[in-house]
Amino acid sequence: MSLSELKENREALVTDLKGDIRFMSRITSIGLTPGCKVKMVKNDKNRPVLVYSRDTMIALNRNECNGIVIEEVTA
Amino acid sequence: MSACTIALLGQPNSGKSTLFNALTGMHQHVGNWPGKTVEKKEGSFVNKGTEYKVADLPGSYSLSANSDEEVITRDYIASGNADVVCILADSSQLQRSLFMLADYAGIDVPCFLLLNMADVAKDQGKKIDAKAIEDKLGIPVIPFSATDIKSYDVFYDALEKAVANKAKLNTATLEAKYAGIKGFGEICSLIPDNAIPGYSPMWIAVKALEGDKVVMAKLKDALDESTFNRIESAKADAQGAVATGGCKFAWIDDVIGQAVETSGKQVTLSRLDRIYTSKTWGKAAVILTVVLGLIGSFIPALPLMGIGSLILALKAPVVNALTSIHCPELITLLIGDVVIQSFSYVFKMLGFVFGVTLVFGLLEEVGVMARISYVFDNTMGKLGLQGKSVMPFLVSFGCTMGGAAGARVIDNWGQKVLTIALAWAIPCGAAWASVPMLSSLFFGPGAVLVILAILVVMVLHMWLTAKLFGAKLVKKEERHGMIMELPPYHKPKWGSLFRYVFGRTKETFVRVTKVILLVCAIFWLLNYSPSGNGGILYRIGVVIEPVTRVFGMSWQLFLAYIASAVGKEGAIGVISALYNGGSFNAAFNDAMAGVALASNVNDTLLANVTKPEALAFIFAMTFNMPCVVALAATYQETHSAKWTARIVAYYTVVSLILAAIAYHIGNLIW
Repeated sequence: MSLSELKENREALVTDLKGDIRFMSRITSIGLTPGCKVKMVKNDKNRPVLVYSRDTMIALNRNECNGIVIEEVTA
Repeated sequence: MSACTIALLGQPNSGKSTLFNALTGMHQHVGNWPGKTVEKKEGSFVNKGTEYKVADLPGSYSLSANSDEEVITRDYIASGNADVVCILADSSQLQRSLFMLADYAGIDVPCFLLLNMADVAKDQGKKIDAKAIEDKLGIPVIPFSATDIKSYDVFYDALEKAVANKAKLNTATLEAKYAGIKGFGEICSLIPDNAIPGYSPMWIAVKALEGDKVVMAKLKDALDESTFNRIESAKADAQGAVATGGCKFAWIDDVIGQAVETSGKQVTLSRLDRIYTSKTWGKAAVILTVVLGLIGSFIPALPLMGIGSLILALKAPVVNALTSIHCPELITLLIGDVVIQSFSYVFKMLGFVFGVTLVFGLLEEVGVMARISYVFDNTMGKLGLQGKSVMPFLVSFGCTMGGAAGARVIDNWGQKVLTIALAWAIPCGAAWASVPMLSSLFFGPGAVLVILAILVVMVLHMWLTAKLFGAKLVKKEERHGMIMELPPYHKPKWGSLFRYVFGRTKETFVRVTKVILLVCAIFWLLNYSPSGNGGILYRIGVVIEPVTRVFGMSWQLFLAYIASAVGKEGAIGVISALYNGGSFNAAFNDAMAGVALASNVNDTLLANVTKPEALAFIFAMTFNMPCVVALAATYQETHSAKWTARIVAYYTVVSLILAAIAYHIGNLIW
């Protein structure tokens, strides 16, 4: 599923990134690479999502989330 | 060595600007990179007899070719402009913020690493062993906290050491990681040393894998065709940036793995962040924060504005004194109406610049600005802008010039110019003072509808302007969604902040004074007539009255409209004086100097101006160029005479069109 489908307070692993070169380079430079763990902190409609990953709170536009494929980690 | 240049390199929110301001104080200069629209900040300081020049490079998350900023940054360093590079990382988000260091690896310039925000990391229960990191990297690594004075001694020591030892980053372990990527080894072997001066074959190979267009173009020039084609085919996979990114983070994990101890505390949103990010309260909380900040900033700004009023009060005594010593009339008038008037504008403006720079600088430094960007990202994104643009807009309801000055928080030049262009459409305080007065005089309770109509037109105007100007200023491929961190809140460093604010205010003073003097002198000349009646503008106004009638304006109203481009405060005074038979020259200068309105102003207006004409004038004045000071501030922030002129011309035309529409609608109603 894509990152924006992750419910609040759930954790997931990034499995794949899809997009143009520009997107790939921007998303990896903020720390989201395949294999890294993300936690959904806030997921409101019409707002960027807030995720926590690599010690950092990251705000991501919802469209950009479509290129981030994740697999939910069930605790 | 007499002068040594250090470049500051770091991601946004790494505390780069704070360090720059703290090091250089008032000794800084802001310009543009040659031929580019990217801001260039330089400064200098002296330590132990050595003079250091400091270049504050644009903040970006990496050194890819995604933006002009990033290409300028890496080329500046690689071309040997800096003797040493100080790379900043955020200790509280060490893993992610070391990405810049990993991306830097392979650029052949001495460097050292500054682990900033050591205080924040400590509060989070993190312990970082800088020595262990230093051993792995081979360059000086220092924990740093901008608010701690002792930190600076450590900084100067590390700086000296890095320069003296020509400290180079150890990249062997990183290269070993890259070696696992398919195609890396082959590309590396195809790239000779110095294929692109300043970059190692490893760095170039990584960028080639990432599909970096600028690097590929340079390789194409530097290598023969068959070698280049072999590189092209070896890098074919589109997932290159993901693979290299993975290696960079794996390397970072190795470097800091043993050196960082965390408390393992779960990070959640702070109470303040829960309010800012709330769906219901977020926008209101942001607006309240900005408004309260601006109100607070007026307290320190008041003395400057007071000087502005004081200068204006000098006008009458100075003119009298000059007349009494028989100074030629022309010179007396020039000093009174141009020089004194201009400086009065300049000082009032500086008050605003000071206040706005202080508040915005503070919000940026403590980390609130990032929250504002988040909250307004969707709304402003529709206009092609960043969420931050909402702040200059809010300021513009008070003063367009303040809004233009505040637009400097926007780090992309095109978006900055677009923000200013849109801010002009927001009626400022002076318009809000005149519009209700004129509307209630002519339309009674209908004034509410007029004000409502102005707000609706404002929104449409901004939307249209965003479409028209946005296409050129913010190109489609540059419009991408937000990918940004919300940094932890930081304590502000007041000394550095105030030095920055004073520096900016001083610079604005120098640059803006020239523009305002020039524009005021031009207007004055156009108004001047030796006989006291006449003047070029007056003559033109009278001659083209048949044309201005189309817009619903008599020559008196049209001249008042022109005056409103200089300062909206004076517009009503000009109308009143002209209908009472005064000369335009005197009316204009009096109104601009803030001479009180005649007591019969209401009767004069009602007797001479019809309702449709009044409506036309209200729209023409409100959406006209805000004032000369806003013009000067726009020029100061955009660094572009061309775009400033375009905005002026556009607003003049649109305000006249709006006047014509209002006039003809008015004619249908009344």
